[in-house]
Amino acid sequence: MNHDPFHWGRPNQETYGTYNYNIAQASNQQHESQLDDFPKMHTQQPIITGTSVVSLKFKDGIIIAADNLGSYGSLLRFNNLERLIKVGDETVVGISGDISDLQQLERILAQLEIEEEIYDSDGGHKLRAPHVHEYLSKILYNRRSKMDPLWNAVIVGGFNEDGTPFLKYVDLLGVTYGSSTLATGFGSHLAVPLLRQLIPNDIDYTKVEEEDARKVLENCMRVLFYRDARAADKYSLVTIKSQTSESGSKQITFNHEKELKVENQSWKFAKDISGYGSKQL
Amino acid sequence: MFRNNYDNDSVTYSPTGRLFQVEYALEAIKQGSAAVGLVSKSHVVLAALKRNAEELGSYQKKIIKIDDHMGIALAGLAPDARVLSNFLRKQAMSSKMIFNRPLSTSKAVLSIADKAQENTQSYGSRPYGVGLLIAGYDETGAHLYEFQPSGSVLEYYGAAIGARSQAARTYLERNLDTILETDSVEDLIVHGLNALRDTLSQDVELTFKNTSVSVVGKESGFTIYDDEEVQQWLDKLDSVSNARNRDDDDNDNNEDSNTNTNEETTTTTTTNTNDNENPASEETTTATETAPEDDTNTTTDPSGDRMETDD
Amino acid sequence: MTSIGTGYDLSNSVFSPDGRNFQVEYAMKAVENGGTSIGIKCKDGVVLAVEKIINSKLLVPGKNKRIQTIDKHIGVVYSGLLPDGRHFVSRGRDEAQTFKSFYKTPISVPHLMDRLGIYVQNYTCYNSVRPFGVVSIVGGIDSNGPHLYMIEPSGTSWGYSGAATGKGRQTAKSELEKLDYETLTVREAVKVAAKIIHQAHEDNKDKDYELEISWISLEETKGLHQFIPDDLLAEAIKYAKEDEDDDEEDEEMES
Repeated sequence: MNHDPFHWGRPNQETYGTYNYNIAQASNQQHESQLDDFPKMHTQQPIITGTSVVSLKFKDGIIIAADNLGSYGSLLRFNNLERLIKVGDETVVGISGDISDLQQLERILAQLEIEEEIYDSDGGHKLRAPHVHEYLSKILYNRRSKMDPLWNAVIVGGFNEDGTPFLKYVDLLGVTYGSSTLATGFGSHLAVPLLRQLIPNDIDYTKVEEEDARKVLENCMRVLFYRDARAADKYSLVTIKSQTSESGSKQITFNHEKELKVENQSWKFAKDISGYGSKQL
Repeated sequence: MFRNNYDNDSVTYSPTGRLFQVEYALEAIKQGSAAVGLVSKSHVVLAALKRNAEELGSYQKKIIKIDDHMGIALAGLAPDARVLSNFLRKQAMSSKMIFNRPLSTSKAVLSIADKAQENTQSYGSRPYGVGLLIAGYDETGAHLYEFQPSGSVLEYYGAAIGARSQAARTYLERNLDTILETDSVEDLIVHGLNALRDTLSQDVELTFKNTSVSVVGKESGFTIYDDEEVQQWLDKLDSVSNARNRDDDDNDNNEDSNTNTNEETTTTTTTNTNDNENPASEETTTATETAPEDDTNTTTDPSGDRMETDD
Repeated sequence: MTSIGTGYDLSNSVFSPDGRNFQVEYAMKAVENGGTSIGIKCKDGVVLAVEKIINSKLLVPGKNKRIQTIDKHIGVVYSGLLPDGRHFVSRGRDEAQTFKSFYKTPISVPHLMDRLGIYVQNYTCYNSVRPFGVVSIVGGIDSNGPHLYMIEPSGTSWGYSGAATGKGRQTAKSELEKLDYETLTVREAVKVAAKIIHQAHEDNKDKDYELEISWISLEETKGLHQFIPDDLLAEAIKYAKEDEDDDEEDEEMES
């Protein structure tokens, strides 16, 4: 049996019309007539995928969440994936996109942590979020330039050297940008507007309390579960915050919560949805 | 005469476990003019004595900038120092490129230490013939390291390498407490120049032509002062010549014996007047030998200056 | 060393008529004058310690670390030509990382020692290289518990409960033989290590030394190789010197 789902065939064209391959970059599988026109490409589409990563800054740090689902096309193939990775003492990397590439990034980051934090470490030269982000952006851009991208969108969260929260994005093209509210994939459409209600301008994160940030993030995960067919209601959440102790020294805490559930679900709205599936208007 | 058979290459141990080729490479450092380095809490200063081959010749550069926050001073074979400084510059640029952060001083020195070690364990290459003082200011503050061709690097509060450098070390040890406590960059430079001055031979004094000074530290990038720019610092000294008599030579100087290596400035047999402005005169008048160190010199080497760094 | 001058000791990888490889023996000589290193394998982990001779008061105290980490769970300390030690550690790191990228699991200590043994032995086989001028003590924790090994310039590596090398190895060994490795914990061993290094330094008293201690334990360090905390080090040093007061009060009076 050929295990490539794209070879399994589809409903015949007379009923449904020709398939539009441009939809959501579904596949670059081309018509038989075109197969000779282009070199064979093995790693030009994701296989198992993870959906959105959602994150925002608050006044003492950053908070980030990603669900635990690994989808195989529309099949919900794995439900126990961890897509938030700790790097060093005070940095988190949230990864969406291809899961095998995520695992490759995980190994690269583990190697980075050993080289920068373990070998000949006299202390002091901390590996921080900006360094991790810069490093990842170089890797992703390099791979894209070789026409062999790591099929991911990544958010790096942590702290700058001056102690201010750091949050920045990089994707499979090597595109990078930073913001106080960030999300990848579907989340960039559905979650960012919700996050921006809390943080309209980039600097406003300084007024945001941790509880409020968390509440909005939980709401984002709920909305994404409602609207994103590749999202799950089980997710992980990381909070990194810097607190000043009584002695005046800064203490950074890294809190990784796992197996959280999307609470207070209400599917009342579902009955009003139309235009999909068999139901006709 | 007994011939030392154990000193032909760096892959042969002597019966006592020494590596003579590596030890000879350490000697090459002492053929070069002195370089001094010292740190305070916030700054690192390097000071070095430059030589020229002849009166009309230019002076060999002694301090090389690596990056905005790092630089080195050298003593010994200047071409070897260029190889190492180019390597360091590459490391510094990679760090900026890959991590967007300045290369840490400790990483920098360890990278050249490991590079130097390779040359001491395989046949066909020679150890580097240069000692370096590496000055850097990074996230963890001001640092000064001494690099040796053996592949050893150690962090110091104050260090000196090159001809008659023991005198400078003595000065630094005596003034260590004041140096560490000082908040003034100016004082630090004056201490550095005082130490350097102690390495001078009798007929030489510090001039704006033969003196190089560099500073790196908090809020100031690596800056080199040469020529006219160094005069401002020399003006702050009580004297520009060595106060001590020439007869209290320390044991590590054999600069009068010969200098035939192609180090910083190739010494020639040009006749020289004992012009005070010519720091190379003391070599040139006596540099008549062209053979490498003779056998007696090597087998009976009395100095306990071993490659070993922990005893 | 009666065979010195017969010509069989001038090149590595050459046997003498009586079957010795002199260059390897000479490499051992380079080790025998280095600062003393020791390793102690306890029931719950491993402790490594080294006597760092201070050659100049211009050296920065507490820096110029001598104990290194090969992988998160494996530490090394060595005596001899220190740059060679760094080379050895660098190879160990490469081996550990290669293993991990192949098998997705941390390398076990015995397997790492196998690989490093082969590497070090290779440097005795060719006249284009010289043997390593270090004896390294490697300690770590893996799924089979704590391990301690010592590897020599010849490439031989043996497992130990207590290992010592460097100048004061004889003194250190006789002290190590007195320990009960079945009941000793790392927390106790830290003090013992400090004391042994202190005793081993007796022969070399004209020079100052600095003490460096690291440990690996599931309870104390979550299986990671780390330097011991400053307060514990201070406590260990105090213990090492206190004991000396009782034993040899006269000697202490002078200093």
